[in-house]
Amino acid sequence: MTTIEDISTLAGAGAPAQESLRPGRSLSGNPGQRVDSRAMTNESVDANLPDAGAESEAQRRERFERDALVYVDQLYSAALRMARNPSDAEDLVQEAYTKAYSAFHQYKPGTNLKAWLYRILTNTYINLYRKRQREPLRTSTDTVEDWQMAQAMEHSPTGLRSAEVEALDHLPDSDVKAALQSIGEDFRLAVYFVDVEGFSYKEASEILGVPIGTVMSRLHRGRKQLRELLADYAAERGIQAAANPAAQVDGGTK
Amino acid sequence: MDCNSLGDCSDARIVRIYEYLDGALTLADLKEVKAHLDHCPECTEQYDLECIIRSVVRRSCQEHAPEQLKANIITRISQIRIESGH
Repeated sequence: MTTIEDISTLAGAGAPAQESLRPGRSLSGNPGQRVDSRAMTNESVDANLPDAGAESEAQRRERFERDALVYVDQLYSAALRMARNPSDAEDLVQEAYTKAYSAFHQYKPGTNLKAWLYRILTNTYINLYRKRQREPLRTSTDTVEDWQMAQAMEHSPTGLRSAEVEALDHLPDSDVKAALQSIGEDFRLAVYFVDVEGFSYKEASEILGVPIGTVMSRLHRGRKQLRELLADYAAERGIQAAANPAAQVDGGTK
Repeated sequence: MDCNSLGDCSDARIVRIYEYLDGALTLADLKEVKAHLDHCPECTEQYDLECIIRSVVRRSCQEHAPEQLKANIITRISQIRIESGH
């Protein structure tokens, strides 16, 4: 498994050149979100970067608390996608931050701190929790070739009617989380890191410690599974709403 | 509308739309997909659906860490300093 030393290899994870090409168009989401989350990663590139070797322990701790702890909510959210319950998620985040602080001298200032922290979180999860599980680790044999084959074999996407699309947009968070939780873990994390956190394929591959082709394969399958599950929930809610229109009004979803 | 420019089956088109949304296309491909989306209601519907899904998933995963967690982390970190202190 990846050790704390390996984490320093992520220090080079920067924003890909094509980042600026990400379209800002979004139907009902927050179009600025991805860009904002990425803008942070480069904010200090040209500033006077701290010299990690020269700073005192107190200074390092202060820098860690200032720069790294701002991601605690985001790491906790990610940990909830990994751990089985909120209490384990808290332990996981705490453990990850402890490791991150211990290895903070390896973090290269100006590089992507959030991605570095996510990598530590993921490694911590794999080492602490996955190991305990009886079932063997799912091997990452899904390659680009698998992905292309899967692509060739899969059928048309779920056809949703407009009422279902509407219902989808108003699905309660609990349904969405349940759907996300029920897709395979490897798929779930790929979807989470790219679709929720806005990491590039390359960054996600570094965080997850798998090749880019594997990330794409997992994303493709994960999104497809998620789409189908959400469509089921939406169809169910749509039918409920149609059967009892008052319920939707009372539910205050609009 | 000729959707074959994005791929020869609906699944390939979806992948193209994924890549478009993921910022994984070159500028030339990006322009091509955008030009296609501007004129194809069917692909635009898929694009919109994918946007809705992402926005719904993002919205649902905005948990806040318990207040105590941050304090616990700071405590743990300061212990590391003491333990390994000079």
